[in-house]
Amino acid sequence: MNLQKLETGNASFDHISHGGLPLGRTTLVAGSSGSAKTLFGAQFLALGIQLFDQPGVFVTFEEQVDDIRKHLRSFHWDIDTWEQEGKWIFVDAAPKEEIIIAVGDFDLSAFRIRLERAIMKCKAQRVVIDSIGSIFTQFHEEEHSIRRELIQVALTLSRLGATSIITAERLEEYGKITRFGVEEFLTDNVVILRNVLHNEKRRRTIEILKFRGSDHEKGENPFTINPEKAIVIIPLSAMILKHTSSNERVTSGIPALDKMIDGGFYKGSINLVSGAIGAGKTLLVANFINGIRENKERCLLMAFEESNEQLYRNASGWGIDFKELEDLGLLKVICVYPEISSLEDHFINIQEIVKTFKPDRIAIDSLSALSRTSSDKGFREFIIAFTAYLKHEEITGLFTSNTPLLAGGTSDTEGNISPITDSIILLRYVEMSGEMQRSIAVLKMRGSKHDSSIRKFTISDEGANIGKHFEGISGILTGNPMLIKLE
Amino acid sequence: MSMHVFQLFINGHSLNSIEAVDTLLKICRENLKGNYQLEIIDIQKDPDKAEEAGIIAIPTLIRMEPAPVNRIIGALNVRSRVLAGLGISSMHK
Repeated sequence: MNLQKLETGNASFDHISHGGLPLGRTTLVAGSSGSAKTLFGAQFLALGIQLFDQPGVFVTFEEQVDDIRKHLRSFHWDIDTWEQEGKWIFVDAAPKEEIIIAVGDFDLSAFRIRLERAIMKCKAQRVVIDSIGSIFTQFHEEEHSIRRELIQVALTLSRLGATSIITAERLEEYGKITRFGVEEFLTDNVVILRNVLHNEKRRRTIEILKFRGSDHEKGENPFTINPEKAIVIIPLSAMILKHTSSNERVTSGIPALDKMIDGGFYKGSINLVSGAIGAGKTLLVANFINGIRENKERCLLMAFEESNEQLYRNASGWGIDFKELEDLGLLKVICVYPEISSLEDHFINIQEIVKTFKPDRIAIDSLSALSRTSSDKGFREFIIAFTAYLKHEEITGLFTSNTPLLAGGTSDTEGNISPITDSIILLRYVEMSGEMQRSIAVLKMRGSKHDSSIRKFTISDEGANIGKHFEGISGILTGNPMLIKLE
Repeated sequence: MSMHVFQLFINGHSLNSIEAVDTLLKICRENLKGNYQLEIIDIQKDPDKAEEAGIIAIPTLIRMEPAPVNRIIGALNVRSRVLAGLGISSMHK
C-alpha cells in the first residue's frame, strides 16, 4: 500500500519524492547551517498558497519574523498580502532580547495552544516549524523536559492532520541525523539537505532518507537556489533511460564529414568534438550551426570562451553569416563566462531558454570551460542530467572539449562525457616534417558505420576541408607520428 | 523600594501553574510588602495575551518593572533563585 502524498508544488521535489510530502504527517528536514532548511519550509508554504490555495502556519524558533518576511519578499512571494488575507500566519517563538532563567518544572503548553489556535484560525493545511533545535538552545538546561514536550507537539500536529515540516540542525554533513537527536521521535519521514564544500566548491544536495510506507528516489540529488524559483532540484536518480532514438539524420554542415559518419548525425544525438587549442573545434561548431539552413532548423549556441563579436568575426572568416541566421530567428547566441553561476544554475538557465526558443540543435563551446565551475562529481552529474534532458527533448547536441596536449592525448572532461555521447570526433595535430598538420577522425558513431581513417583537415577562407587519409603514418593519436615504409 | 510589576502566565490548574502562583504570592506578601502589581493570565482564557508576549513555556513570569524586563520560566519552586532572578534581596523581609 502506498502512502497518500501532498503535492508540494515544487515540481522537481514532487518528482523525486514520487508525489510530494506524506499527507497529514510530519516530515523532518535536517541540514547543517546554511543548507536552505528555512527556505525549503517557506517555499512549501508559499507554493501551497500560490498554487493550491492552501493556507499555512510558519513557526519560527530561530530567525526573527521580520527577517523572514524580508527573505521571502526577495523571492517575490507576496507575504504581506498573504498575511493580511489570513492565508499565512506566523507563530513567533524566536528568542527575545530579555534574559530568561528557568526555576523548576515547565511545559510548552503555551506554545502548543498558540500553534493549535493559529492552525484552526486559518484552517492551515501546511505547517512549518523552523528550527526545532533552537528550542534546545533557548532552554539549554532542560533538555529532558524539552524532549518530552516536543513529543507532545508532534502529537498535536498529527491530531490536527496538517502536513508539516519540522527543520532541525545537524553538525556534520555525513554523520548523526540531527544535533539533538530529534529524529528519535520524528522518525517516519526524513529529508536531508547538504551543502558540502569540496575542492573549494560548494555543492548542494537533497536526499530523501525515508518516507515510511512509501517509495521515493534514493540518494543525493543536486539542487540550486534560483532567484526566481527558490529551490530547484536536478533529479539525477529519477531520470529514465528511455529516449526515442531516431533514424533521421541531420547534417553536420560539412558534406565530407557527413560522408565520414555515413550521412550525418542522428537527430537527438549527443556529439563530442575533442581537440587541442586551434585544432578547429569552433569551426566545426560554426558549420554545425550553418547546417540549420537546409531545413530551417533552430539552433542555440552557448559560448563560454568567446564573445559575440569574436564569434561572428571568426564565422564570417569561414564564410558563415551568423548575423543573418540570427535575424531570421533561427540562431540564438548566448555568451557568458562559466564562472557567473554554478553548473546547476547554468542547467536551469539553458532549460529556460530551450522552453522559449525551442531549438532543434544546441552547440556548447566549450564543455571544458564549463567544467571549471564545479567539482568532478558535480560536472559528471551535470553532463548526465543535461544529455538526458536534450535526448528527452530530441535536441541534437554538439559539444566541444579541449585536450591539454597539442598532439594526442585526452582530457578529464572527455573521460566524464565520452561514455554518454553518441559520437566522438577527434581533431588532432600531426607534426610531420617540420610542419603542424591537422587531422580529423571519427572515434565512435553509435548505431552507424563510420569512416575509420584519420584524414587530413585544413582550414581555409572557404572553411573546413577534409582531405585524404594519412597513408603510411602511424602513432598520430599517441602524439608520436611515424612514417611507415610501405612494402 | 521601587514598585514591582509582574505578569504570570499559567495554564488552568496545572500542577506547575498552581505551584508558581503560590510561590509568587508568598514572595509578594513577604518580601515586597504589598508594593507590587501582579496580573495572572490563564492562556486558556486569554490566548491573545500569550501570543502578544510570545509565550512558549508555562509557567512564565515576566518582571515588567523595574527595568530591564526579564523572564523566569518554571514552577518557581526554589524561592532563593526566584528572588535572585527578580533582583529582590531577601533583606527586604
